[in-house]
Amino acid sequence: MLELRDLRKSYNGRAVLHGLSHKFAAGEFVAIMGESGVGKSTLLNLIAGLDAPDSGEVVVDGQPMAGLDDDAATRLRRTRMGFIFQAFHVLPHLTLAQNIALPLLLNHQGIARASEMLDAVGLAGRGADFPRQLSGGEMQRVAIARALVHRPALVLADEPTGNLDPETADTILALLRREIKATGAAAIMVTHSHAAAAQADKILVLSHSGLHLLPKNHVEV
Amino acid sequence: MTPIPTMPPAPRRHLSTWLLVAGLLALVIASFASLPLQFSEFFTAAAWSTMAEFLGGFAPPETATPFLLKTFNATLETLSMSALGTLLAVIAGLAMALPAAGKFGAAPRAATRAVLNVLRSIPELVWASLMLVAAGLGPFGGTMALAFHTSGVLGRLFADALENAEPLPQQTLLTNGAAALPAFFYATFQQTLPQMLSYTLYRWENNIRAAAVLGVVGAGGLGQMLKYHLSLFQMQDAATVILAMLLLVALVDAISFMLRRALTR
Repeated sequence: MLELRDLRKSYNGRAVLHGLSHKFAAGEFVAIMGESGVGKSTLLNLIAGLDAPDSGEVVVDGQPMAGLDDDAATRLRRTRMGFIFQAFHVLPHLTLAQNIALPLLLNHQGIARASEMLDAVGLAGRGADFPRQLSGGEMQRVAIARALVHRPALVLADEPTGNLDPETADTILALLRREIKATGAAAIMVTHSHAAAAQADKILVLSHSGLHLLPKNHVEV
Repeated sequence: MTPIPTMPPAPRRHLSTWLLVAGLLALVIASFASLPLQFSEFFTAAAWSTMAEFLGGFAPPETATPFLLKTFNATLETLSMSALGTLLAVIAGLAMALPAAGKFGAAPRAATRAVLNVLRSIPELVWASLMLVAAGLGPFGGTMALAFHTSGVLGRLFADALENAEPLPQQTLLTNGAAALPAFFYATFQQTLPQMLSYTLYRWENNIRAAAVLGVVGAGGLGQMLKYHLSLFQMQDAATVILAMLLLVALVDAISFMLRRALTR
């Protein structure tokens, strides 16, 4: 579904990724852990096509991202990917229903599923509310619904529970896992939290020598 | 034991601060000394009596139906001038706000901001005089004068609103695969729209007052009527025109206030 081929990336002469290769299977929920500054967020940006590697390739569904022009990369993100951020990135001037429906509107699809997703993330009947009326946990529920509403093949989550208290984080992670499995999407979640990583099917540790599988029984929650 | 931090010392007042204050005081005193302000003559009984006599000439305002109709038409002309002038300014202001907000790079930003500075630095009355030379007497010149000055003001305000808009929503949309134009309209433009509408309504209020004044230099509407009747010492007719101006301004102020409150709720 997603393949990284010898990815290299530097910022201001400092190498962040040193020839990274890995294959991600469809429908797999993978957590990526690692020290700060090791390149976890950079990796997500490269996978999303928001940044270009210095060398190497990101291949999505057999299609190298480098071969896509800006419009095609934008279309790929819009149709095949969903995004969840640490700071929620919910649009403050839109209602919850409008926020969740955005990917459908951008893809020129009917918006009926926005209402289904609102129910699925436990916010039934609150579609007309605005984000300022929500707690952090509720905003992340909206973000999860928005990331999955258009049934993407790949969800990229950058520290999705970084701004939440442990109890809310557990609820959100369980919800994220349930909804990812319900839609059949693959997911890559960057996190510092062992508790969050434990929800994934597979945990990879990113270091300067590459991505390494961490046996789940090695994770201390 | 952790030492308790002390407050930092208060900043010292430099000599330059004292010199600046002394300079400002000297300027105020020099202003009073250089102007022939005759306050004592202003407060004499004779001055007040002349004033009362002059104001008494305005009463009662003219209420003959033909004159009221004429005033009503002039009121509509003033209202139209202000509305059309503001509308043209919104269109021009929006068109210039995008480059002025740096959406097309630094050089177009600097160039457009310079144009906006020129447009709004020239007062409506000067624009009206220029327009009257170019387009002759009448409401067209007044409307264009309002449009030119207000596009300078609104263009700058719109550009600042766009520049100050929270960038995250637009970035979020771009990340989610929105093209640049929809991302701008869904996120940045939607965010700033209530602010822009509020600025527009406020400038429309100002333009109502300005349109009335512009009439004095021949740009039509209530101002032109006022100048005509005052110059012929037809004070009762002038009183009716002034009352129409007051009513119009009060009405537009009230409508604008209600709309702005609804928009910012």
